[in-house]
Amino acid sequence: MAPEAVVARVLGLSRQAVTDGTSNTTESAWDSLNHVTLVLELESAYGVSLSAEDALAMTDVASIKRVLRDYGVEWDGA
Amino acid sequence: MSHVAAPLEVIATRFSSLAGKDAPDEQTLIALAAVDPAAATAWLLERDPADLPARPRLARFLSAVAESISRSPGAVDAPELLQIVRRFGHLLSPQHATEFAGAARTAPVDPALEEALHAALERAPEHPALLRAAAELSVASGQQGRAHELLTRLGRADSGLATMQYVYGARQRLLRTSSTPVRVAIVSSFTIDTLVPYVDLECRALNLEPHIYVAPFNSWEREMLGEGSGLQRFEPHIVFLAAAADDLIPRLASPDASLTTAGEAAVDRLLAAAERFTSWSSALLVVHGFQSVFRDTLGPASSRIGPSRSEVMNALNTRLAEGLRSLPRAYFLDLADLVARRRQGAADNPKLRHMASMRLSEHVLRDLGTAHAQYIAPLMGRTRKCVVLDLDNTLWGGIVGEDGPHGIRLGDTSPGSEFREFQQFLISLLRKGILLAVNSKNNEADALEVIRSHSAMLLREESFSAMRINWDSKPSNMLSLAAELNIGLDSFVFVDDNEKERALMRQAHPQVLTPEMPKDPARYRETLEMLPELQVLTITDEDRSRTQQYVERRQREQLRLTAQTPEGYLASLEIAAAIETASPRTLPRVHQLFQRTNQFNLTGIRYEPGVLAARSTDNAWRIYTAQVSDRFGDHGLVATAVVRAERDEWKIENFVMSCRVIGYGIEDALLARVAGDARDADARWLAGEIVTLPKNAPARDFFARNAFTPDAGDHERRNWRRDLGENGLMIPRWISVRADNGA
Repeated sequence: MAPEAVVARVLGLSRQAVTDGTSNTTESAWDSLNHVTLVLELESAYGVSLSAEDALAMTDVASIKRVLRDYGVEWDGA
Repeated sequence: MSHVAAPLEVIATRFSSLAGKDAPDEQTLIALAAVDPAAATAWLLERDPADLPARPRLARFLSAVAESISRSPGAVDAPELLQIVRRFGHLLSPQHATEFAGAARTAPVDPALEEALHAALERAPEHPALLRAAAELSVASGQQGRAHELLTRLGRADSGLATMQYVYGARQRLLRTSSTPVRVAIVSSFTIDTLVPYVDLECRALNLEPHIYVAPFNSWEREMLGEGSGLQRFEPHIVFLAAAADDLIPRLASPDASLTTAGEAAVDRLLAAAERFTSWSSALLVVHGFQSVFRDTLGPASSRIGPSRSEVMNALNTRLAEGLRSLPRAYFLDLADLVARRRQGAADNPKLRHMASMRLSEHVLRDLGTAHAQYIAPLMGRTRKCVVLDLDNTLWGGIVGEDGPHGIRLGDTSPGSEFREFQQFLISLLRKGILLAVNSKNNEADALEVIRSHSAMLLREESFSAMRINWDSKPSNMLSLAAELNIGLDSFVFVDDNEKERALMRQAHPQVLTPEMPKDPARYRETLEMLPELQVLTITDEDRSRTQQYVERRQREQLRLTAQTPEGYLASLEIAAAIETASPRTLPRVHQLFQRTNQFNLTGIRYEPGVLAARSTDNAWRIYTAQVSDRFGDHGLVATAVVRAERDEWKIENFVMSCRVIGYGIEDALLARVAGDARDADARWLAGEIVTLPKNAPARDFFARNAFTPDAGDHERRNWRRDLGENGLMIPRWISVRADNGA
């Protein structure tokens, strides 16, 4: 599953609506509660353990992908 | 696209065969779906139906298209996708129906898409992704009822944080339902917003419309004080106070031996807040017990040096529970026990604790939601009155008609001990005042032989208030049980191991609660044990003897059949009534009677325990009660009325009477007493109101037959009053009345 799909699921957006530019400033649904949920869902989707620093760095889809790549995560279409 | 094995050129040459009449081989089609879902879709739609691949191959091809679409959203236009769904929806797997639904979303929602999803849901009713897609469509198309139902099912199927937050968020976009509102407040020392979706779901499942207030972060002490706090303005029905031990006693994280003093100070802070709260609010208060994420730092040595951390925590919890017991309407929720018994997952997520001040993991949240519902359900009158049980493979293993009374599995060893454990639980329901009944397809003689004489049976004939052991349909048996016990279908829980019987019952009588039962009988007990609808907040004398009362009723019925006249029958019953005003001893039963009574109920007003307590000592109000007995036994406290006593006029705000004594004239005796007291207080009028409620037909002529005069009113609600200067109201001749603590 692509990170976009995880973001879409957590924020309740359609898959097509999520791009690299989708961020916590463009989406009102991306509040602090959903950010925590997003971290948990990314961890379980990719089998990684994200630190608080990672969580702070993940402010949009592009930065989520950067963090995941640093952990060696791959996904279809990456 | 590394998983596409064949090089593109190879596929391209093979595609030339697609135009021909012969069906291309499967590998080619799947490769096409992977590299070009749009071309694959177009091919499918242009092809003559007669020339399409056979069904299993077609289904595999559709799967490949769906997966391809999920990887490259937007590759196929919505109109084409919709056509696929219209023509081939029945072939889509749950996962792929979900993919198509996500990709083919249009506004307005295409009915074909919904149909395809619902067809897939029939095959996989608890598939989370499918439920989510169907719920999204229903929300988008504004089908309120359907959307709520799907969202509840989704929350049950996947209780993870992300799904629960989606479910909760989606509900906020729907209109309010017409269900009874419940106002729930959560006051906490840590971030507990994540609990809200879980509590919301439980309330919806109880057919309540929840309004949930979460107090600002770590403001619990101020909120509980009242003094115009947000909590006070919210006017909750129920408050959950979740102050974490780790917040109140920070030294739990460090190697500190002197926890007791700090712990006791923390308990006393909680108790002071609770006491203050009960002084200004009539709401129910539920206080979370202490539980720490930190282990004893001394490890094995701790129990030798002692007291160990767990010993200290147990002592603190005891102190807290005892303190709460002495306050009105305050309950202790054993959080340590709940965490220890959680159904799955880790109890603590250190990352969340640090990042978000969250003290409870999502695995605990689900169980905590259920635990909260165990208070909300009885408070809001959602406790069911009777559990109706199947016999074969429900109360014992095997089929008595085939295996014989001695061949069934029931006893101390497995298979058989599972059923005994389940019966032990069912007996505990009797002690809480919940009735048991039987609804079984069997030869009555076979089944009764087991119930009467099997040495391992714990439930016997006298445990059941009514039995239907025959070959009639179970839904029709349910109707006759309701008639015999004189309770509504919405008072029943139906327990049957057979999936088909459960489905039939749900379809025929959706008001009956028919829980999904696990295949493994070892899990029967835990399935029912947690049900909020089987919880009570207090146990009254009436609860303990309720089953006995139904047995006595059967005896009365026999007497009635032999009596010459109705009045002769009533006189032979030797009915005695004690009419009193409510006291602290009888108030819990008064509250329960208002909660439980649907038939003889004049206005439908139900009271919070705090309101009743306040009015019982207020001169402007009188709360009357009638306790009734007859020659066969004690009915207990079966009628109560709340009356506002003004100078000229006494007004009955509500008056309820248990259906067990309808026809005895108890209501007339109680009314005569109220009228007498009003006249003694020099009031001129006795007044009251009757509201037409779904089930209160037995109450509607109450004032008319006691010579009250109606005002204009309408069919829905009408005020009545009676001049107390006229002839007095009479106590029926066959009732002897004792007045114990008269006003």
